Amino acid sequence: MGLPGRGLAGGLATTFRTMTRRSITQQYPDVSPDLPPRTRGVIALLEENCTVCMLCARECPDWCIYIDSHKETLPATTEGGRERTRNVLDRFAIDFSLCMYCGICIEACPFDALFWSPEFEYAELDIRELVHERDRLALWMDTVPPPPPLDPGAEEAKEIAAARKAVAAPAPTGDRHGEGAAR
Amino acid sequence: MTQELTVGVGAGELATADMVLNIGPQHPSTHGVLRLRIVLDGERIRHAEPIVGYMHRGAEKLFEVRDYRQIIVLANRHDWLSAFANELGVVLAVERMTGIQAPERAVWARTLLAELNRVLNHLMFLGSYPLELGAITPVFYAFREREVLQAVMEEISGGRMHYMFNRVGGLKEDLPAGWLGRTAEAVAVVRRRMADLEGLLVGNEIFRARTAGVGVLSAELVHGYGVSGPIARASGVDFDLRRDEPYLAYAELFAPGGPGRVVTRSAGDALARFECLLEQVHVSLDLADACVDRIAALPRGPINVRLPKVLKAPEGATYAWTENPLGINGYYLVSRGEKTPWRLKLRSASFNNVQVLAEILPGNLVADMVSILGSMFFVVGDVDK
Repeated sequence: MGLPGRGLAGGLATTFRTMTRRSITQQYPDVSPDLPPRTRGVIALLEENCTVCMLCARECPDWCIYIDSHKETLPATTEGGRERTRNVLDRFAIDFSLCMYCGICIEACPFDALFWSPEFEYAELDIRELVHERDRLALWMDTVPPPPPLDPGAEEAKEIAAARKAVAAPAPTGDRHGEGAAR
Repeated sequence: MTQELTVGVGAGELATADMVLNIGPQHPSTHGVLRLRIVLDGERIRHAEPIVGYMHRGAEKLFEVRDYRQIIVLANRHDWLSAFANELGVVLAVERMTGIQAPERAVWARTLLAELNRVLNHLMFLGSYPLELGAITPVFYAFREREVLQAVMEEISGGRMHYMFNRVGGLKEDLPAGWLGRTAEAVAVVRRRMADLEGLLVGNEIFRARTAGVGVLSAELVHGYGVSGPIARASGVDFDLRRDEPYLAYAELFAPGGPGRVVTRSAGDALARFECLLEQVHVSLDLADACVDRIAALPRGPINVRLPKVLKAPEGATYAWTENPLGINGYYLVSRGEKTPWRLKLRSASFNNVQVLAEILPGNLVADMVSILGSMFFVVGDVDK
């Protein structure tokens, strides 16, 4: 064991060494933390992309997404054409007091209407205030960062691969945009 | 046995009777809400009974009404210090049932993240255990190191605790550019700074006096109670699933000449358990380094497989067990071909590790109780599920 108290002295030496170094404390409210783009802070809604397909609300493990909508009939655009109905979003709200921040809704959304934002400063004194309605969710869109570039060993991002394919083989004529929605 | 008496205010005259003492459910050393019912004879513990269930959330029942992606959300929460390792058990079970093979890149990335998660978990206990014994300083060092690793975990997964990064067939997303370099850097920083933590504790006379020879757990008790993980290995039970029934890339890492080795001790006391944890951190850091090198050398490829729109496990059953930071974590998955499991039994390490307290606490002094309790390294959520 050696000299009695050697272990204690060794510990004090560590403390002393650390004392001479710069502190690693972050001065949080004064200096905001530098968060990576993938941080799951709050969910933002891009309303224009939402088609009220309800996939996010259904896939949510604790059902904290509330969606109300109604159907609207659009008159035919051409003479003798068919009337079209479309879904109109009335309410889109996420209850962040229930949310488990798993991101399944964002993964499930086929139309890229939901995004993660690293913002986290939305604590409330009243728990009911944690239900963010569509206007508040839309405001978070400004804080959504672009996704980080991927590792060189990674497979090409879906979007880039699709774009490359489109350039290589031009799409056949005709409107193909409706297909995704019909599926 | 002798008569028992619950002592309250004004019952002081029966000084010779045994006293029933409740430790917890609210007690700083119980990491949450574990309750111990202890019968005391003076300062000596005659009888101890862990009473669990205060944090029971019915995880297994909830699994039955969730699809396999939603289960990952719940499964990473019972043991909040080893979220990644918990997710892993679920996805491995489902992958085995469905016959989905995760790409090589995902296998190595998972191994790397699992080892980083192990270091994070162990650092927590390396900091909190001395804290319970009265040494306040080490926890700050442990958390400084944790922060370094959490930064890289957050960068890849977006979460600091509940990573939610495993998916059936691989990982959610590929690594961000430059992440491997930053991870290697973080691992190097933690390895270098571990000397600080060790300098504070290893050889410290007070720490040794509180832990050496205290709460000796025999190998027979380990087998009898199904104790696993670093606690079992500290009692000389040389069993580690990473080597003995390898999953992910562990077969290669634990092969002769590889960086993996199983840390064991023979004393079985609190000090041995602590030393096991400490050495495992070093092994895990080595494993993480090996994984980083390996991922960097892998050819370009996907990190997950395309899943069918509705993922159903075929009818049947499987048992997937993994070496979690705290011990053996097992998922017994029974499927009737639905998109939700018919039953998903969870075997968590902490539950068994805590039960053995009833055997090793009696005969010890109350003052040693915290020292023994803390050295069992459990997470109450993992006990109560």
